[in-house]
Amino acid sequence: MKILVITEQRQGKWNNTSFETVVAAQQIAAATAGTISVAVVGKGVTSLAQELATKNVAEVLVIENDLLENYTPDGYCTALKQVIESAKPDLVLFPHTYQVRDFAPKLAAMLGKGMVGDCISFRKDGDKLVFVRQMFQGKTAADVTFVGATPWFASFQSGAFRADLLEAHPGGKAPVNAAKVELKPEDIRTKPLELFKEAKSAVDLTQAPLIVAIGRGIKAPENIAQAEAVAKALGGEIAASRPICDEGWLPMERQIGSSGQTVAPKLYLALGISGAIQHVVGMKGSRTIVAVNKDQNAPIFEIADYGIVADIFEIMPALTEELQKARG
Amino acid sequence: MQREQLEADVLIVGAGPAGLSCALHLANLIKKHNASGTKPELSAENIYVLEKGREIGAHQLSGAIMNPKALAELVPDFEKSAPLDTPVTDSAALVFTRKSSYRFPITPPPFNNAGNFVISLSKLVKWMGGLVEAAGVNVFKEFGGAELIYEGNGIAGVITEDKGVDKNGKPKDNYTPGYELRAKVTVLAEGPRGSLTKQLVNKQKLDNINPQTYGIGIKELWDVQPGKIKPGFVAHTLGWPLSTKMYGGGWIYGLSNNRVSIGLVIALEYADPRFDPHAAFQTWKTHPFLRNLLEGGKLARYGAKSLPYGGWYAMPRNYVDGGLIVGDSGGFLDSQRLKGVHLAIKSGMLAAETILEALKQGDTSAETLKIYKDKIDQSYIKKEMWKVRNFHQSFHNGLLDGLVLSGLQEITGGHGLIDPMYSQPGYEAYQKIHGRPAPERFKGDGKLTFDRLTDVYHSGTRHEEDQPCHLKVVDLNVCSTRCVEEYGNPCQYFCPAAVYEMAKEGAGLKLKINAANCVHCKTCDIADPYQIINWTVPEGGGGPNYEGM
Repeated sequence: MKILVITEQRQGKWNNTSFETVVAAQQIAAATAGTISVAVVGKGVTSLAQELATKNVAEVLVIENDLLENYTPDGYCTALKQVIESAKPDLVLFPHTYQVRDFAPKLAAMLGKGMVGDCISFRKDGDKLVFVRQMFQGKTAADVTFVGATPWFASFQSGAFRADLLEAHPGGKAPVNAAKVELKPEDIRTKPLELFKEAKSAVDLTQAPLIVAIGRGIKAPENIAQAEAVAKALGGEIAASRPICDEGWLPMERQIGSSGQTVAPKLYLALGISGAIQHVVGMKGSRTIVAVNKDQNAPIFEIADYGIVADIFEIMPALTEELQKARG
Repeated sequence: MQREQLEADVLIVGAGPAGLSCALHLANLIKKHNASGTKPELSAENIYVLEKGREIGAHQLSGAIMNPKALAELVPDFEKSAPLDTPVTDSAALVFTRKSSYRFPITPPPFNNAGNFVISLSKLVKWMGGLVEAAGVNVFKEFGGAELIYEGNGIAGVITEDKGVDKNGKPKDNYTPGYELRAKVTVLAEGPRGSLTKQLVNKQKLDNINPQTYGIGIKELWDVQPGKIKPGFVAHTLGWPLSTKMYGGGWIYGLSNNRVSIGLVIALEYADPRFDPHAAFQTWKTHPFLRNLLEGGKLARYGAKSLPYGGWYAMPRNYVDGGLIVGDSGGFLDSQRLKGVHLAIKSGMLAAETILEALKQGDTSAETLKIYKDKIDQSYIKKEMWKVRNFHQSFHNGLLDGLVLSGLQEITGGHGLIDPMYSQPGYEAYQKIHGRPAPERFKGDGKLTFDRLTDVYHSGTRHEEDQPCHLKVVDLNVCSTRCVEEYGNPCQYFCPAAVYEMAKEGAGLKLKINAANCVHCKTCDIADPYQIINWTVPEGGGGPNYEGM
């Protein structure tokens, strides 16, 4: 069986699941008396290719092109389609990474072949190669085999094979060959922008010493600015009870309560919060609780250290002003 | 969309008493079948059970008093290991007036529970789940049946719900499309008002001569002061705070360890669209009898669930090509005694016997599965339900007529004056509000009585927050226009979990759905006057946690 492994690198750095997939290939090759080619895709990846050549593989393929410098699904699919058509492998293996999830099904579909994704192991059943993948959140495992013509596509889950079992090349080094691919800029319909990491929630409410929390009493999103002014004058963070975040007036990470954060600041100022138990469990540990609510029977007053029965729209501006004065 | 497919012999939707009995009995029958050497060889591993709850038992709620006869057939030595809590030692029927209560000197037979057990249905079902898994059956927790796969004049399996979809229906990082589970026989064991059962009954017109009618049961578990109630003491209450025009009553069951199960059941066919069942239950607790019982005690858990009241003439046809309906989904409930656990178990067992026969014959068409119906007719299910086939209908005009009519039925084997008595869907009973102002909402004192949000907190309900709303309202305009005018938005009142709320928007009102509060009781799907609310399964694992209920 002729196996082709597509490794993954980004800006010269390996995605280490690549090596686990090479181990999978080595084990499949051992079971099927097969040979392994390992491909590395990108621009300026020769040193990565040399590293792969020290492993027990028959050949390393370097797929280099200016247009492959940054990952694009079109670029990868177009290039790999050409490589697969000329190298004619029986089995193409990938590490099951986010990038692979993005392009591998498309590549398989372009070639009209089947793909088994996210496998955890394989076994040889007579002359059949059986892939095992989890279903129902790992509760059960399904055996899957290919019925159509080769090449077959499969990806292995991260951690399915141990990278430390990677065999070195017995003869020192495998040959490194360049695979010719032709790519035109118009093949690529997407334009990669700069890489970025999604900002982690900007605020960690559990660490905030002062919290100003708003509830339904705030009535409309345009009124939140008044509460934010209080928070700013106080030097605290703004937070909310569930309905406010449900409406999308404040992001979910600012929700306090049983389905949000649990906090215990030095001061918790509850503005227009009735004090349903779902909210209270998230803040009752606060050192000092000050509650402002129009309804004198609101349950929040049962746990408040200081309660003000008043309209928050009168209290908020007055409080902001006083706080600013006090701070000078 | 392409989905992953999986094939089974038998797929059971719902791990309640009916679904699990079906699975366990079938696994036992398959074992015997294989031991006898008869072909074809079958395997319990080809039985799949889906359960939308976090774990088996998480969505089980009942009073509950169980007649043990069906369980004894399923698990002959059940008394050794089943969590039965306590046998009934004393059964009382009480009539409540506002200030006092009267006990019937001789407890009428329907209220007599000698030989039965007070149980936690959640605990019992959890225990059954253990037996089912030990028998080799695959139980997939946190997976709900979202859609039926139709084939011919019946069904060929279900599609489970998609996971990892955000509020706006977009896939998230953890998106996993639902599985396509195909089976030779699909058993709908979804409980009352099953969302798939509803579709199938409508599509195949499986309704009986009467539509199914429902009640809602609202329950609290309390830890009370020692000596307040004897374990095994069970009481049913009639009267206050329900008017004689309403059909329903309360229960008080003494469990072990000073725990007591209390609840109120009310038929969802009342006239006032702004009647609030949760508030009625809270008011009921202020009766001196309950006030004294609960004084110094503590609320442990809360929940609510609908139950099918309609009786024999409201049971849908329960077999189609490739499909059977069991338990509450099929209306297997004695509408006089409001007992369904033993009938659910029995229906599951009869379904299992039918399925074995069908698998042996290699024919799972309605023609073969029809023997399920014959088995029901020959069993005590029919015997019990036939006697009271007109019971619930007799109360259509209130308590007094009902007592006379059902009394006559009692001495004529269920026939009474008219047989069959017809009924209407419960939501047709609503009378329009004609501009009457809305009543004030019940608040609760926080000690004996609670508002709905506090109670919902005690149901342990959780849902993934970022998912599409699982309560599908066909036309929100109806809510803001016609319903405001005609019925004053009953959803705000009948929902025992404060899911529905009419919020001010500009000069008008707009429906806001707090879907994460949903305790999966299905009342909205049943009681909406326009029948435009469709309850669908949320992402698996969401819902209440009825441990101990």
